[in-house]
Amino acid sequence: MLNNRQERITDMKNAIKLENVTKKYKDFTLGEINLEIPCGFSTALIGSNGSGKTTLLDVMCNICGKNSGKITYFDKYTDVDEPDVRNNIGYCAANNFFPLDWTSKKVAYVMELAFSNFKREKFISLCNKMKIDTPDKRKQKKIMKMSDGNKMRLYLAAILARDSKFLILDEPASALDPLMRDMLCDMFREYLAEKEDRTILFSTHNIADMEFVTDYAVFMAAGKVVEKGFVEELKEKYRLIHGSGETLKSLSQYLISYTANSTMFEGICLTEHSSVFQKLDAAIEIPTLQQLSVGILRKAEKDTTEEE
Amino acid sequence: MKIYQNSNEPIYKQIASQLREEILFGKLKEGDCLPSIRGLAQDLKISVITTMKAYDELASEGLVTAVAGKGYYVNPQNNEMLKEQYLRELEKNLLAAIDSARIAGLGKDDVINIFSTLWNAE
Repeated sequence: MLNNRQERITDMKNAIKLENVTKKYKDFTLGEINLEIPCGFSTALIGSNGSGKTTLLDVMCNICGKNSGKITYFDKYTDVDEPDVRNNIGYCAANNFFPLDWTSKKVAYVMELAFSNFKREKFISLCNKMKIDTPDKRKQKKIMKMSDGNKMRLYLAAILARDSKFLILDEPASALDPLMRDMLCDMFREYLAEKEDRTILFSTHNIADMEFVTDYAVFMAAGKVVEKGFVEELKEKYRLIHGSGETLKSLSQYLISYTANSTMFEGICLTEHSSVFQKLDAAIEIPTLQQLSVGILRKAEKDTTEEE
Repeated sequence: MKIYQNSNEPIYKQIASQLREEILFGKLKEGDCLPSIRGLAQDLKISVITTMKAYDELASEGLVTAVAGKGYYVNPQNNEMLKEQYLRELEKNLLAAIDSARIAGLGKDDVINIFSTLWNAE
């Protein structure tokens, strides 16, 4: 499916490619990471707290340097400071992205100086849409006085007002209310629809809210990528199984991970193994991305605990 | 187009079957371009990959063809194929009718009578 589409839409294959990338801290090691983020899609980075999502995004943007490995941007550049790379990546950290005494006006002013592709009118219309101070409003609120949700709205407006190719967003949805999350998903789809060589990579804990804007999913645990793939392909690869407690005993070896109590169990298995559950009184369903995430991360957690 | 997000039928299949119907019933005609993948995803509030999979399914059935860099176009539809499609639909419905008749204890003649009455009433 992937190859097909690349032929149709754009020559670019990957917005970013990581080969054997590692980053070592005293108490945490990221990698080795081998990962390709497909161009033209929205990719979700999913993992538990402390699994290395933010570190990975920071390494990608060279916010912190890697210890080893190779990163290739837009299929050709290896230096993030290459103007073609810098200008085309819109990065947004989870919090305190801009100095706290800045205002919407200051953000617009600095973004305009820093990036030639920053569009002031677009910024103003995004501010209006998200109901935050526009840069021309008389009384400007400082970022430190804004709620977390409004801070994130301002960051998003600043990022989306640039005519970029690749958005890297750390937890963009977590501070937002339900309506604003819905709007964020719409804005993601709009960004992708405007130009076909655009890519979004975001991390999230609320994958259920982002399911309908996720094309490719990367699952992380303990600093490593444990599963990745196009969502539609992952949904074909795995099945959600639930049934009564007794059924589980004889068949638990077929489940990748599960939870159980005396009444019922729920878990995921490979689709090729799902037929063994058919004979029993178990329900077999296509998992949602949320259910898939729980299944995959639970397995990864179990594996890590066993290793220790 | 309507999408059930909590249905057992995957969303890409729902999209494919609605477009398939539009093509087979001639609402979408030969040479018509399907909506752009990203545009449709935006309108339906679903992911790009889901729309893409729906289109790939239609392409694999030969109903549409992907044109590099342009989009998906509706292929000429074979009338025989359409007829065949209806014939299969008819058989399926008649079999269901026969099942109902058996349960109700009705014979072939009874069913034919009902059928004639309904046909003439149309």
